[in-house]
Amino acid sequence: MSDLELAVDGAPVVAATGWTLSWIERSDGIARVTDGSRSEVCLVEGAGSDWVVTLRGRRIPVTVRSWRERVLADAESAARQAGGPVEIRAALPGLVVGVAVEDGAEVGEGAVLLTIEAMKMQNEVRAPRAGRVSSISVAAGQTVVAGASLLRIE
Amino acid sequence: LRKDVADPPPPFRRLLVANRGEIAVRVMRACRELGIETVAVYSDADVDALHTRLADRAERIGPAPAAESYLNSEAVIAAARRAGAEAIHPGYGFLSENAAFARAVEEAGLVFVGPPPETLASLGDKLAARRAVAAAGVPIVPGLLVPLVAGAGDGVTAEVAAVGFPGLVKAAAGGGGRGMRRVDRPDQLAAALEGAGREALAAFGDGTLYFERLIAPARHVEVQLLGDRHGNLAVLGERECSVQRRHQKLVEEAPSPAVTASIRESLAADARRVAGTVAFHNAATVEFLLDADGNHYFLEMNTRLQVEHGVTELVTGLDLVAWQIRVAAGERLTESVLANEPRGHAIEVRIYAEDPHHDFAPVAGSVTAWRMPAGPGVRVDAGVGAGTPLAVEYDPLLAKLLVHADGRTAALARLRRALDETIVGGVQTDLSFLRWLVDEPGFVAGAYDTGLVAERWAGGPELGADERSLAALAALEARLSAEAERASAVEPAPTRPAHTQPGSGWAARGRAEAVNHRRSR
Repeated sequence: MSDLELAVDGAPVVAATGWTLSWIERSDGIARVTDGSRSEVCLVEGAGSDWVVTLRGRRIPVTVRSWRERVLADAESAARQAGGPVEIRAALPGLVVGVAVEDGAEVGEGAVLLTIEAMKMQNEVRAPRAGRVSSISVAAGQTVVAGASLLRIE
Repeated sequence: LRKDVADPPPPFRRLLVANRGEIAVRVMRACRELGIETVAVYSDADVDALHTRLADRAERIGPAPAAESYLNSEAVIAAARRAGAEAIHPGYGFLSENAAFARAVEEAGLVFVGPPPETLASLGDKLAARRAVAAAGVPIVPGLLVPLVAGAGDGVTAEVAAVGFPGLVKAAAGGGGRGMRRVDRPDQLAAALEGAGREALAAFGDGTLYFERLIAPARHVEVQLLGDRHGNLAVLGERECSVQRRHQKLVEEAPSPAVTASIRESLAADARRVAGTVAFHNAATVEFLLDADGNHYFLEMNTRLQVEHGVTELVTGLDLVAWQIRVAAGERLTESVLANEPRGHAIEVRIYAEDPHHDFAPVAGSVTAWRMPAGPGVRVDAGVGAGTPLAVEYDPLLAKLLVHADGRTAALARLRRALDETIVGGVQTDLSFLRWLVDEPGFVAGAYDTGLVAERWAGGPELGADERSLAALAALEARLSAEAERASAVEPAPTRPAHTQPGSGWAARGRAEAVNHRRSR
């Protein structure tokens, strides 16, 4: 019925057949899915091609893309992979307890860059690829919010 | 308005709540019912928080980091003075077990809703408490009664070897699982001492450690007490708290499915003995470990309100927070409190902004949709609402959902129904874990111990094919219906002022308020 492609965690998926969706509160994204006998309430949030469906309490990221949107997105991510600078960001809010590298240091893939303590757990942030460290913007003892820029790898 | 009986005078005219989130809201509700005016304190992160808005009056106490606001004794006491409060309720966490704070409150001429400062000081030292409790004839977990000093080499002294392995290294000033390490073999002790010592020093400013035998499998069972200034002590039954991650509780129920009438009797007797080792006039909890043979061992005593106090309130019908305040003002516990017999079964589940599929790591973000359950036997204590940004500085507890029914089976059915009605958007929560738990055969049978989360949940089940395809269907329908709406719009929407743009949080909050307004009419 539509040329939209569906994927969960990057893996293609087919929409459930025999199930229908009806909105309970459209403005909040609360809906009911039913196959005629069983039904579940879920929450649908998002826009464009990026959606998150909360089903049975679990957030499931779903990509809904036309063929054209997918080709554009793939080209963009290929350009990123090709060696452009990578911004390393904090995945969690927490306290920087140690920075293991200096500006200009050459690191291999998987090298420990810094350690962030969140909820009593020490989380090591590792290099996603080999490269040279630049723009370190945090120091030990500093609190960071989720998504805060930590350093770059070029 | 016509009143046949005059209300009793309130225990205090005005009370300051030195806390935030759901517990601050909970204390204010009790104050409202007692006719006490409420004063909130807030940090810069909580200017718009629920507790700040609910109070009769709110005082700023500092920047977002807890050390500069909710843990700042001087700022809290200064706020109480400015606001003309007569008493301070500390809630749980933050300053609630800080003896210096309790002393400073009294020295400022205010009433601390809690035990005397000396009691907090003596209970804060877990080693001293172990010694006192053992002397009173209550069984304690076998282990050291003195601080652990590392021996040469691998650190294992004759005393440690006598306790045996596996064991636990614990912080003398500890609590909440901090400064605690499991040690399975002697060669792991040195590393455990180093890690636990560093953690304890950072968390409590005291790196003193001790060593005790690991009781496993074990259940965590605690007894609720309530004392007044006249020597009366009410024992209000037990709570089962074995569903834990990181040694912190996620689910609690009363009564415990593992506690028989005879175990209950000996728990109550030993809880009284433990209470006899200190002076207190407040709500208090004595925590025990229960082993597979039904033997119990004293763990620790807390003379403050517990997060999970609500399950005891549901089975006893008592308002523990109101009683904390009344006994702080000098009132006597009544005969109906002292002779209370718990009734039915209650279960509490804690809704955290944590990802149970990734080690229950806390998550950041804003709450978008927020639907809490209602109906018979359901209680929700929440500290957030739709549109609330989550302050990363604080505990990620969003709300507690409690149910009460005649028996455990009915309570579980009620909990399943309530969880089905619950929707939280914007952030991953532990609701997926909780929905798994209520169908987990061991939990349903009441046969579980503190290993449940680590052993049976692990990281949780993989996302199933049916869940993927249902989510895909929902997302597809959402995109198609959004596109259909846009196509059918006859004219372009007018430009809206920035603060009403979707996604700013204000829109969601405004909607929620409009809905509440409609409902309240």
